[in-house]
Amino acid sequence: MRLKIKNRYTPIFFILPLVIYIVTISFYPAFSGVFQAFHSPSTGQLTTSNFTALAHYGLISAIINTVILTAGALAIEFTFGFIIASILSKRFKGRTIFSTIYILPFGIATVVSAYTFSLIFPAVGGYANSFLALFGIHAINWYSSVYMTLFTTMLADAWKTTPIVALILLAGMSQISPELYNAAAVDGAGPLRRFLSITLPNMTDFVTIALIVRGISEFNIFALPLILFGYSPKLLTTLTYSFYSTSATLYYSLAAATVLFAFVMGFALIVVFRNKMVGVYEG
Amino acid sequence: MRVEIMKRKTLNNYILYAAAIIVAIIFIYPLYILFMVSFSPTRYTLDELYPSQLPSHLSLTNFVSALTQYNFVSPMFKSLEVAFLVGIITLAVAIPAAYGLSKLNKRLANLIVVFLFMANLVPALIIAIPISVEFIKAGLFDSALALALAQSLFTMPLATFIILGAFRSIPKDIENQARVDGMGMIRTLYTLLVPLAKAGVAVAFLLSWLTSWDEFTFAVILSPLKPTLPVIVYLNITEGSLVQAAAFAAVISVPVIILTVVLQKYIKGVYLSGGLTG
Repeated sequence: MRLKIKNRYTPIFFILPLVIYIVTISFYPAFSGVFQAFHSPSTGQLTTSNFTALAHYGLISAIINTVILTAGALAIEFTFGFIIASILSKRFKGRTIFSTIYILPFGIATVVSAYTFSLIFPAVGGYANSFLALFGIHAINWYSSVYMTLFTTMLADAWKTTPIVALILLAGMSQISPELYNAAAVDGAGPLRRFLSITLPNMTDFVTIALIVRGISEFNIFALPLILFGYSPKLLTTLTYSFYSTSATLYYSLAAATVLFAFVMGFALIVVFRNKMVGVYEG
Repeated sequence: MRVEIMKRKTLNNYILYAAAIIVAIIFIYPLYILFMVSFSPTRYTLDELYPSQLPSHLSLTNFVSALTQYNFVSPMFKSLEVAFLVGIITLAVAIPAAYGLSKLNKRLANLIVVFLFMANLVPALIIAIPISVEFIKAGLFDSALALALAQSLFTMPLATFIILGAFRSIPKDIENQARVDGMGMIRTLYTLLVPLAKAGVAVAFLLSWLTSWDEFTFAVILSPLKPTLPVIVYLNITEGSLVQAAAFAAVISVPVIILTVVLQKYIKGVYLSGGLTG
């Protein structure tokens, strides 16, 4: 009897180090960061002054830019992700070589991809413009406005992150029964029709997961904008870092990070509840 | 009718190949540019307003100047040290955790795994800034160990999930027999189960290594004075030493490309989705 009780609880002891690690290195610092963000650096009293001060330093535009960047990058990643997943879901000669090529950017360091894209899309000239010139297209200023800058960043970001989306979507596509497609083909449904009425509805769980995994990283996009265009236009991450690295205003930096945290949590909750993820967890 | 179907099939095949090749070119292009720039003298690449798309006068000059003018050795060793530490810390914590989880019932175990992945939702910045303050107090700022402890946050959930999968695929009878023979749980785990699950353990180690090798956010905040390779690339770019940055970027990418090709069959949608599909 005693042995049985002991056996029931021993698994917990094996898991305990992991739980302790996550709590001390992740939850505790995050909690203390948020806690300090609501305190005055001088008097130590509870206040929202750090946030109101941030508003003067462009918090609102940082929020708007971050949301635009996230939405745009997700749109590009999912478009290419679906194209690649559709290609790889077919059996054909040379498939392995293509899948290796599509997966390569996944491992490349963000700093390296950011640097490479700064060569392709520099402020003037560069490889993208010299390529366009081959077709007689006039040089484009990739940073002519806030939106153009964000668009360039989306393109650069999508290169590295599309493989992840494609692989998750591929996992979803490959669990759809081929019989469904055969039936649809007999009924004369075209490719677009088949995609909308068979593929998409049968893999909503995977789409949801890809949305969460990528959406959250997208809010946290940091090295890429920092290297491509620096601190302006503002994003939540670069705003946080600018206060951390250039002044003694650590509390502003924490306040900006807190806003970022709130957006990430909000995004995750919306996606989870919209899709009733509970069913997916039970898998 | 048959001929018609055949014709359509070959046409579809052409479309498939055309699409596959176009996407492949888009994906290869940035890497091609990176390696071309790092292997060409600047007067054909960075100094040109509209540089040629084709390589010319390939040479190793950029690497030579980057390696001789910069202290290349210490960031390289720092990166290697941190990456191996991340691999070791991750395995040290994830192996027992995965074993414990494999003993729980599947539903509860999956719920705990999901909880672990939820920990990854917390932005690195809101963690990095408070712990940088703690590490300064503890005298750990700029140390490899402190950075590795922070970076392991990214690798822990995925490693646990992969190793858990490997343990689950081992038949229960093997472990039960060992227990009947009087082996303790810890001995069973390390002398019997870990060797049987060595493929999963190796994949978890290499993916953790790779994550650390590439990581920037924690590295730039927790170790700015004794930087790792990604931080060195960033510093070179901000100082305007673009040639050196190209050489360093190419050096970082070589092990990454090799590892990605080697690990490709393990980089699966199911892993990347963090086990949320159960």
